[in-house]
Amino acid sequence: MAPHNAQNDTVTCTIDGLEVTVPAGTRLIEAAARVGIEVPHYCYHPGLSAPAQCRMCLVEMEGAPKLLPACTAQAGDGNVIHTHSEKSLKAREGVLEFLLLNHPLDCPVCDQSGECGLQDYVAEEGRKMGRFVEPKRILGRDDFGGDVLYYGDRCIMCTRCVRFMREVAQDERLTVVQRGHRAVIDTFFDEGLEGSLWAGNVVDVCPVGSLVSKDFLHKARAWDLDRSPSVCPNCSQGCNISIQTFNNQVTRLKPRPNMEVNSHWMCDYGRHNYQWMNRGNRIEAPMVRRDGKLVAVSWSEAMRTLADTLGKGSHAVRAVVSPFLSNEDMGALRRVMETMGGGDGVYRVETGEEAELPGFPTLKLRRDRAANGVGAELFGYRRAGGDDGTGGLDDLAGHDDVLFVAGDEIQDAPTTFGEKAAVFVYLGHALSDATRNADVVLPATSFAEMEGTFTNYERRIQRFLPALQGPGMSRPIWQILGVLLAGISEKAAPATIDDAFDALAEVRDDFGALSFRTIAPRGTVLPGFPALSEAAGR
Amino acid sequence: MAINVRTMKRPDQKSSYVRASLKGMALTFRHLVNPNKKTLEYPEQKPDLSPRWRGTHVMEQHEDGRPKCVACGLCPTICPANCIRLIPGEDDQGNRYPIVYEIDEFRCIFCGMCQEVCPVEAIHVGQHYENAEYSREGFVYDLDRLMSQKHESTLLWDPSDPAGE
Repeated sequence: MAPHNAQNDTVTCTIDGLEVTVPAGTRLIEAAARVGIEVPHYCYHPGLSAPAQCRMCLVEMEGAPKLLPACTAQAGDGNVIHTHSEKSLKAREGVLEFLLLNHPLDCPVCDQSGECGLQDYVAEEGRKMGRFVEPKRILGRDDFGGDVLYYGDRCIMCTRCVRFMREVAQDERLTVVQRGHRAVIDTFFDEGLEGSLWAGNVVDVCPVGSLVSKDFLHKARAWDLDRSPSVCPNCSQGCNISIQTFNNQVTRLKPRPNMEVNSHWMCDYGRHNYQWMNRGNRIEAPMVRRDGKLVAVSWSEAMRTLADTLGKGSHAVRAVVSPFLSNEDMGALRRVMETMGGGDGVYRVETGEEAELPGFPTLKLRRDRAANGVGAELFGYRRAGGDDGTGGLDDLAGHDDVLFVAGDEIQDAPTTFGEKAAVFVYLGHALSDATRNADVVLPATSFAEMEGTFTNYERRIQRFLPALQGPGMSRPIWQILGVLLAGISEKAAPATIDDAFDALAEVRDDFGALSFRTIAPRGTVLPGFPALSEAAGR
Repeated sequence: MAINVRTMKRPDQKSSYVRASLKGMALTFRHLVNPNKKTLEYPEQKPDLSPRWRGTHVMEQHEDGRPKCVACGLCPTICPANCIRLIPGEDDQGNRYPIVYEIDEFRCIFCGMCQEVCPVEAIHVGQHYENAEYSREGFVYDLDRLMSQKHESTLLWDPSDPAGE
């Protein structure tokens, strides 16, 4: 390991001819990543310790007698490093040839194909043809419990999964058994990974197709998927995720690294709770009640009808919002309510047991099992109902003026809900018994079909992008209500999400300091709440 | 009202059709007895196809009747006409196989890339050209149809030397 000047906080070294200054103690692989050089690696993972056992990241340092593993060697002042020199390429070619001794060439049936570390590095740096003619070992596959399936043949023994369970989940359930070419990963007890909330992450850390998700097994090829950066809607932690879709269907959710929120991880509750985004029974056209029946009409007709009814005089408004709505949706509804004379709004949220990831304690499966309960509070909605996200609608059910239900399907509400209301407007995804009483039904997009922001438990505002096409004529709620607001007041309708976000400043001053485009990639903590964001610090 | 028609007076040698008719008949007769004639009595006689003729597809199968396809998804990926629909799944023995495998032969441009890309040599273009159907839907060949095709598959390469060595 090269010496570095202990007095200085930073060191400057040269990697492949590019000079880089990094904090002292930075590992070479991370220093190289800073200047955009990827050193091939298997056992190294930015969220785990590095045992330097795969020997894949060997790089040449001028003056050093041997090649150094870039995942553990620290950058020193004045080091000159060649990551793709002849010597290191030859070493890596040898490592890859050894890995391919027993790794089956079953890429056509392997789920990892297309996003596989071994496939990529062999294509880049491996031999064109193997020289090994003896039969490969055959180990078959093993059900590890939970959502995880293990293909022993494909394993390259990087032990990332073992280290994830040991260091991050701190629930040691996996280990290496046997030695040499007979080594396999195995579970200690019969239950395996069953019941572990964080086990799904071992599938993500596996660089090859050895650990695969049963849920995703044979579902789609990696190269066919469309990936959209988004935010997990399933609890108030707000983990950064990538929604991966195929043919306009969500096939899986994967975590996106965000060191301030979820590091590289996400829980299995959020990961597997995506089927509702693919539901088929959605409302596709606006409907208005005529002669006691809901009739599908055009958007312009629906909005004109609604604006004509609501535009006259002042009303007492009551609203129910779903905590899965974006900030823009909730803010738009609050603006409509204030324009019409103000009123009371509630939201209901299902809660569950909190669960912490010991290796990254600020990542928890939070009590609120919805993304934007905090956003609802910020925009003046009151929490109602019980812990199962039902009830709390008694004083709204018989309200006799204007009633808005946005996003929430109110399936538990009595069938007489809203019958007495002068105007009952429902903006949502599907009709339930209670929402069939609505006078105007407007099809809304879900968070996966629109741009917007969520506010997480620490008031961090995070953007998400659309992953799916909304069904039929559905529109984002902020757009629907923005147009309605333009119809009943002098305000301009929002053309883009930027306008909708800027309009939030009307409801809350602290949003005025932000704009949609300037929200940081890692999310911006709402100014004015220093205590909270500090408390949430790592 | 009559139109004035002028009749051209030409010499008999130039206006006689006898000579031209005989000339045509001579040509016909020559073809009748020509030993090098190329005419094919089509429905009874079939032409010899080139070994690289690319016609409608054939799916190879294992001896127990399972398709050789492992549903890897390379043919729908490479297909320039986007005519292959594939839904992969797992059979009772844990093998990946195609639950749905359909080729729209109307969309297909018979480039043969599906055969070239197939890692298990399952899908082939065939040496076949008589594809009439009673309906348009009949041209979407499903897995059963592709496996029951009886015709020869195309040799894009020498079968004794598939890697081209």
